[in-house]
This record gives sequence, structure tokens and C-alpha cells, in this order.
Amino acid sequence: MKKISVDHLARVEGNGGISATIDGKIVSDVKFSIYEGPRLIEKLTIGRTPEEDVSMSPRICAICSVSHKNAVLRAMENALDVKVSPKSYLLRELMHMGEFIESHSLHTFYLALPDFLGFPNAIAMASKYEFEVKIALEMKHFGNHIMKTINGRYIHGENAVIGGFGKYPAREELLQIKTRAIHFMPFVFKTVNLFCGIDYPDCPDAPTLYACCEPGDNKFGFWGDEILLSTGKTFHRDDYKKLTNEFVVSHSFAKHSLYQDKPYSVGALARIVNLGERLEGEAGKMYKKYYSSKWKSNPFFHNAARSLEILYSFERIPELVDEILKLKEDKSIVDYSAENGKGTGLVEAPRGLLIHHHEITDKLVSQVDIITPTAQNAEDIERYCHVAAQKLLDEGKEDQIRDRMDIIVRAFDPCISCSAHMAEVRNAPKNNWKMQLEEVTQKGDPAFIGVGNPTLSDDGAGIKLARELKNAGIQDVLLESEIEQDEDLWINDSDRPLIFLDAVDFNEDPGKVTLLPLHLILNNTSLSHRLLPTVSGLINYSKMKNTYVLGIQPDSLQKGNQLSAPVEKALNEIREQLTNIREQ
Amino acid sequence: MNKDKLKIGIYELTGCAGCALLITDCEMELIDIFNAADIQSFLMVKSDNIEGELDIALVEGSVTTENEIEELKDIRERAKVVVAFGLCASVGGIQARFGNKEWKENYQKIYGDMEMTHTKPVQSKPIDAYIDVDLYLPGCPVGKEQFLHFFTRVLKGAPPEKYPRPVCVTCKYNENDCLLNKGIPCLGPLTADGCGSICPNHNLPCTGCWGPAEGANPTSEYFLLKEKGFDIEAIKKRMSNYSGTKLAEFFEQFKKESK
Ligand code: SF4
Ligand code: SF4
Ligand code: SF4
Repeated sequence: MKKISVDHLARVEGNGGISATIDGKIVSDVKFSIYEGPRLIEKLTIGRTPEEDVSMSPRICAICSVSHKNAVLRAMENALDVKVSPKSYLLRELMHMGEFIESHSLHTFYLALPDFLGFPNAIAMASKYEFEVKIALEMKHFGNHIMKTINGRYIHGENAVIGGFGKYPAREELLQIKTRAIHFMPFVFKTVNLFCGIDYPDCPDAPTLYACCEPGDNKFGFWGDEILLSTGKTFHRDDYKKLTNEFVVSHSFAKHSLYQDKPYSVGALARIVNLGERLEGEAGKMYKKYYSSKWKSNPFFHNAARSLEILYSFERIPELVDEILKLKEDKSIVDYSAENGKGTGLVEAPRGLLIHHHEITDKLVSQVDIITPTAQNAEDIERYCHVAAQKLLDEGKEDQIRDRMDIIVRAFDPCISCSAHMAEVRNAPKNNWKMQLEEVTQKGDPAFIGVGNPTLSDDGAGIKLARELKNAGIQDVLLESEIEQDEDLWINDSDRPLIFLDAVDFNEDPGKVTLLPLHLILNNTSLSHRLLPTVSGLINYSKMKNTYVLGIQPDSLQKGNQLSAPVEKALNEIREQLTNIREQ
Repeated sequence: MNKDKLKIGIYELTGCAGCALLITDCEMELIDIFNAADIQSFLMVKSDNIEGELDIALVEGSVTTENEIEELKDIRERAKVVVAFGLCASVGGIQARFGNKEWKENYQKIYGDMEMTHTKPVQSKPIDAYIDVDLYLPGCPVGKEQFLHFFTRVLKGAPPEKYPRPVCVTCKYNENDCLLNKGIPCLGPLTADGCGSICPNHNLPCTGCWGPAEGANPTSEYFLLKEKGFDIEAIKKRMSNYSGTKLAEFFEQFKKESK
């Protein structure tokens, strides 16, 4: 009988979650993929009415279904120029709090805590932390209860509609929510002290940029009409594409995003880094007590940030209920007459900035663009995992890589199924560079640049190889000394792969060959590469992702112009391989 | 391992994870569920999963990649009873509305020509396009009450209950004012029951998220809707949102009976 297991699934085509490839002493590749199939949601609602779109598009993700609902509603109401009543507005905020409480308590107690307390899963943890596990479940249930009361169902509730709500919840139901929120407070404080007090493992320093909604009025909050970056820069909602720049990658059905060619992070940590100063009340006190600059460069602090947000939500709920009950009754749905328009809605889902853009032409949906938090975090997830994996490998702790990557991916809370154990560490097959080289050449005809110092024996391998390739009639091969003459070829032509040929000390047997994506070397603590100062200023991140170093492990770097025998042998192999590929 | 407990596996193909999430949303019942049955595999909540013989497999999601076809066939081989769990598994979900050609065009618009290295995508289909299915629990997501009913009945060895009625039946029990009388096009008459008529309870029309009702009387509904002056084309379009690949069958019957 055949078996399916996470590992099996993860191995079929290489990916379910995160995988790292280890080639000797280096981590040569890290891929984060969403293994679920493509659903083409953005195309499904084209030609439907705005109401049908509001019902269908949250079906992207159940775990954030209320965030999707609020995002699509904000987009539609911007597009159709609808202003909901203050009561509807506040009720939507209340149901948003429900999702934060539900999602954050599930994540922190059930997925993250076992990691940091050293248990394999929450059930194993329950024997020692019975109280926490039980109350956390009640807290999660309370979050669901809020969503159900206001939106009609736990998942994919339909009560929130364009213009307001089908029916408002009863006064008694709201009062009950308020009372229960107050009853949870002692446990909520415990939660903050627990998650802010954990001694999180160090993460190799890899600072990033953080993005979240700007709630306005110098307030903390979970939506807004602008995007705020940790640099202080803001964008109006309609300019969201200046931040996200989505692109397709071949290893996942989820698109990736880059800002100015750099990865960025969204989520609880982004909100606390960007907006934490604005927290008031008890949440403000706790922020002052625990927040430090350390949080900024270590994704594990996402969990501490989540606990602060749980507290913020529990403080906000009684306020919200009071405000709602003060308002007088209204019709619950505002009518609208617009038949055309386009609008963007920004909200913070528990896992980060969520963007919905919907366009209406002649009463029907004509264009939809949805950008999810996990798509925006994907590049950073890969980057953090790579840095951490390489560090462990350098320290000789290869056996810890899988678990560490697991925890890093989980810290971003991509979604429940992705954050279950899905990390995989692979050893690259022998002569992996040959396969990789074939893959790279399939993307386009590469240009080559040979670099090195021919007066230091094996350090001249790159230069010698480039000369030999030229002689063998291969096109577009440059020497280091010719770089300036032909900048066009390697800087501007971004579709073609670029391969540097060089001697690289990666701690292997002399003559061993490896093919490394340049953006990985940039992250790499163990490979110091002389090319980088020149190159990193000149080529942008996406070009860098299409740039490689074909490295040959040198034997000797003594003065002299002779190559050692193993390196000489490697050059022959490479030349042969390249001419073979070119001939195919 | 407990010998006399039912061995159950819960699997997710392509969907929004809502149906599986619904099981974890039965917080207060969850511990009982885990005690009453032997949950062998449930990726969303546990990592020590065992993939062997099963009494019941609950499958969420539709089939959209070649890997999933393989996975599904393997589940069928191992399980005595396979349940299509949720609308995606039962009819293909909202993502199954496109015909093959339309699907290809739209796929291209989103992903371009890039070849995926991890698996090959296929047009979304319900699980019964590839394997025999013993029972359907539709709903987007499955109803909590419906799931708990189903679960307790099979635990006791009783056959699971079917819901061969449209939403209107429950809506009547709930004493709602019929929205059709107010000129609001409600899909209740054509949609499978099981949600407790939540939308009409909130003064909102049913959008059909349980999929087509098996035991509905489409002919009389057809005349009813027509008589009330609703645009039948718009109704069909609405109906197609949550009917996946089963829409064609449904309207086939519709047409036949209305002749
Ligand atoms: S049926 Fe609906 S709730 Fe269930 S997985 Fe599919 S889209 Fe999600
Ligand atoms: S409101 Fe809708 S579900 Fe209720 S009886 Fe009327 S048509 Fe049927
Ligand atoms: S859309 Fe229809 S089937 Fe779905 S929850 Fe609403 S009333 Fe029930």
C-alpha cells in the first residue's frame, strides 16, 4: 500500500511549504510554496453583480474570511460611493476584532507556544499547561462567537453587505459580548506576559522593511486608507501597486511581492513596529514595558506582537459596544445608485496587509485584484529561512535546520495548513550544478562574466574558463576587465540570466562546482564574495534573482599562474557541459 | 491504537480550508470528537499523521492539480467510506464554474506562460470526477450542526441523514417573511438545505452556497420564479456561482421537466 504523508507530499514535486537544498557546505536554494492549486478567484466574479462578488471573494481563505469581507466591502463602497452608517461601521470593526482574537489565540497558543516551550504539539503541551490550553480555546471560541453574532456565521458569514448589514445583532447579544470580554481580561494579561516574556531564539540579523495600514488620527487600528512603511513613507490606497509589484514564481501558485526590488514584511510585527507607539491604555503600558529594538529584526517577535494585539482588541471591545449602543437605530442598509466605479479597500488581516481592488462597469464587476498578506511575506520568509539555515549549517547543526525553518515559517502564520509541519531539507544530488545550469539556460541564453586574479593560481579559474568559452565560440562571454565596456549586456538586459564564473571558497573538496543564485550569496554569512560591492549597487533584486555564480572550489591561492589539477579538471567538465547545452 | 474506534482521516485538496477549519471551530466539542474517534490524519491540527486503512475519509476541496488526483485515488484505496466534505469537494466549488476553455484563458491571464515546477494544474473538478463518493455533505462551508449530526450518527453506526430539501423548508420553519414577496430574488427554492436558512433569517436572499438541491422540484420553482417576474437568465447566472460542474446537470433536469 502506498502512503501519503506530509513528507511524501512535500517530496512529490519538491514542495509543500518550505524546502531548502543543501549542496555540501552551502544552502544553495530555499523555496516557499503554497501547494494548493490555482483557484483563479480574481476571475470568477467578473461579470457578476457587486453583491455576488462580496459573497464570493472572501472564499479565498476561510481563516481570514472576515478580513476579506471587510476588505471587499471597503473596496466596493469606495467604488460605488457608499457611506455606511456609524453603527454599521463600528459593528464591522467589532467583527474584525472577533477574527483577530480567534486567529491570534489559535496561533499563539496552539501553533507557536509548543515550539518555544519545546513540545511537539499543543496536545502534548496540554498535560503541563492545561489551564492555558483550555482558556485559550475558550478565547478562540469567543472570537468565533463575535463573528457569528455579527456576520451570521463563523466562516463566510453573509450578514455584512454593501451598505451595511442585513440585520443588526440585538442589544442583549452585544452586552453579552462586552461582559465576556471583560471577564477574559486576567487571562489576556497573562497571555501578554507569557508571549512578550519568552526568550526567543536569536535570528541572524536580517532587518527588513515593514508595511501596514495607516489607521489615521494617530491611532492604532486594523484598517485605513493609506499604507504606512517603517521608513515613514505613505501611499494612498489607490497607489497600492507601488508597494506590492506582484510577480509569478514557478514554484508556487501564490504570487510574490517586492517593494523597490526588496522583500518586505507585513503582519502583527509590522503593525507593532510601525504603530506600537500609538497604543493606549493597558496595551500602551505593556508595549512600553516589553518593546525593544530587538523586535525589529527577528520574526519570532511576531508572537509577542500578536499578544499585544489580543490585549488591544479586548480593551477595544467594551468601548465599541458602548459606542454602538449609544447610537440610535437606523435602517441597517444604505441604498446606492452608482453603476460604475473603481475602488480599493485596505485592511489588516491577522497575518498582515490585505488589499482588495474591484472595478464595476455598468453594474457588473469588470476587474478584481486581491493581494494577500502571505503573498507579500513569501520573499521574506524565504530570505529569513535561508539566512538561518546557512548559519546552522556553518555551525555544524544541519540536523536543526528543518525544525528552525518550520518555526520561522510558522512565525509569519501563513495559514494553518502551511504552518503545520512542512519544512523539508534536501541534499542536492551529486553534480547538482549540471541540472541547475540546464534549468537556468531554459529561462534564456545566459551571458557570462569571468572574474578572478590569474596571478594567484586557482583564483584565476574564472578568467581562464571565460577565455576558453570564448575560444570555443560561445557568445556573450566577458572578462572582468571588459565589464565596463559592455554594461548593456549584463545590467540592462534583465530577462537573460547572467552567470559569473569564479573561484569560490565554499569549504569543499578542491574542484567541486556549485551554481548559486546571487541573491542567496548576498544573504550568506559564510561566503564573502568580492564581487558583491560592485554588483549589488548596480543590479536590482529581480536581476539578482536571475544572476548566478558558477563557483569552483580552489585548492591553492598561492602566487603563480598554474591551476591545480582538480580545478583544471572542473573547467573541462564545465566547458563540456556548456557546449552540450548550447548544442541542444 | 484503539481497535474499536472508527479510524478517520481528514484531507484537504484545493479550497479555502473553511470546511476543515469548521471542525476546529467546534471548540467545545473538539475534545469529544478526538476521544470518540481515532483521528488518524488531520494535517491542519496534528503532525503525527498515520496514512493507512481508514473507516471514513472526509475530503475537503476540489481537484486542481495532478498531484491531487494521485492523492485522492490513494485515499479512495485506503478508505471504506469517502465523504465529499463541503461544496468544493461535492460540486467543485466556486472555482469549478469555468469550462475547460474559459479556465485555460483565465489561468493564462493570471499566471502567464510560466511552467509550474511543483505540479501541473488542471481545471477544477469535484472529487467524484475521479473516484466513487459514498456521501455528500455540501455547504460553503459545511454546517456545524450538519457535521455534528453526521458525526454522531456514524459513530453510533446509524446511516447519515440526507437533506433532500431546499432552503425554503427550513426558512418556513423559521417563520421568515418570504423575500420573493418583496421582489428580492432569493435562491432558496433551488438551493440545498442544511444551513438553517441563515441568509433569509437576516433579511438577505440566499446566494446558493449549498449548491443545487437534490430533491427540489425545479419545474414548479421555475414557474414560481417566472410568475413572480424574475429574470430567469440572472437567476441561472447566480445559481452557477455555487453549483460548480453540477450546474449543467441541474438545468438539464430543469429543462426536461419544464417541457
Ligand atoms: S466549500 Fe467553501 S468553505 Fe469549504 S473549502 Fe470550499 S470554499 Fe472553503
Ligand atoms: S425567503 Fe428565500 S428561502 Fe425563504 S421561503 Fe422565500 S425563497 Fe425560500
Ligand atoms: S447562501 Fe443560502 S445556503 Fe448559503 S448560507 Fe445563505 S441561505 Fe444558506
